[in-house]
Amino acid sequence: MLHIKCPHCGMRSQNEFSYGGDATVKRPELNKEVSDQDWDNFVYNRKSLRGKHLEFWQHLSGCRQWIKVERDTATHEIFKTLKANEDI
Amino acid sequence: MTSISALKNVHIKGLFGDYENKNEKDLLKISENKDLLIIQIVQYKNSSTSLDSLKIDDLNLKNEVISVMNNDDTRILWNGPNNWLLVSNKKNLLKEIVEKFDANNFSITNLSHSRAIIELDGENAKEVLKKGCPYNFNELKKDNSLNSTFNGMSVTIDVLNDNPQKIRIFTLRSFGESLYHSITDSCLEFGYKSI
Repeated sequence: MLHIKCPHCGMRSQNEFSYGGDATVKRPELNKEVSDQDWDNFVYNRKSLRGKHLEFWQHLSGCRQWIKVERDTATHEIFKTLKANEDI
Repeated sequence: MTSISALKNVHIKGLFGDYENKNEKDLLKISENKDLLIIQIVQYKNSSTSLDSLKIDDLNLKNEVISVMNNDDTRILWNGPNNWLLVSNKKNLLKEIVEKFDANNFSITNLSHSRAIIELDGENAKEVLKKGCPYNFNELKKDNSLNSTFNGMSVTIDVLNDNPQKIRIFTLRSFGESLYHSITDSCLEFGYKSI
């Protein structure tokens, strides 16, 4: 069983969490011209990395907060967890 | 006005499971809690109001993980950052809360009729919960609470007492009957008394 350390609640089972996608994707700036390619990249296109990956997770059955998790996609090793407004 | 039972269709009084040749006093007891005031209190992210001066039934709100602030009638469970669940026998507390917690800084939601509450009483209460919940219950002490899952259902668990163990389990009212079946199935091997 995978365990994730919630920055608010402490170590909890992965069952309590819900995966929320790539945490490195940045939304194009508001009120600026956005090319179709940039919008596609923001909405659809994702890299499928092997190795360290920064992800959003939500502690859905716990404190309900969104968090960032740095995880190895091959080994599932978790290196670091952060609050959603924190950066590595 | 009294609450309509969330479990009236499934909660049948009696002895069940492996209860034979056991002292009835030592059996696990399952009961439904009704008529409690349940209020969710959330402080908005942009609020700068200090919590120190705000008291409900003489209890402070604290941002301490798994802690429960409590007295004889009222328990305030930490649900998340700036998020608490107040459970009380005193129905008139709602008026006091609405007066003290202004709408610009706090969101107050009455959840009294949207939860099903099952109470487990007996020395195997934690063992029952371990069967469906991934949390390490050996760490959980008196006046601790947590949100987790029990067989896939989101639950809030509140430890009222450690010795003898007395634990309240809250879930969404719509999950009540499913949770009741899950809990009673887990209790069968110990034998239980439904009261």
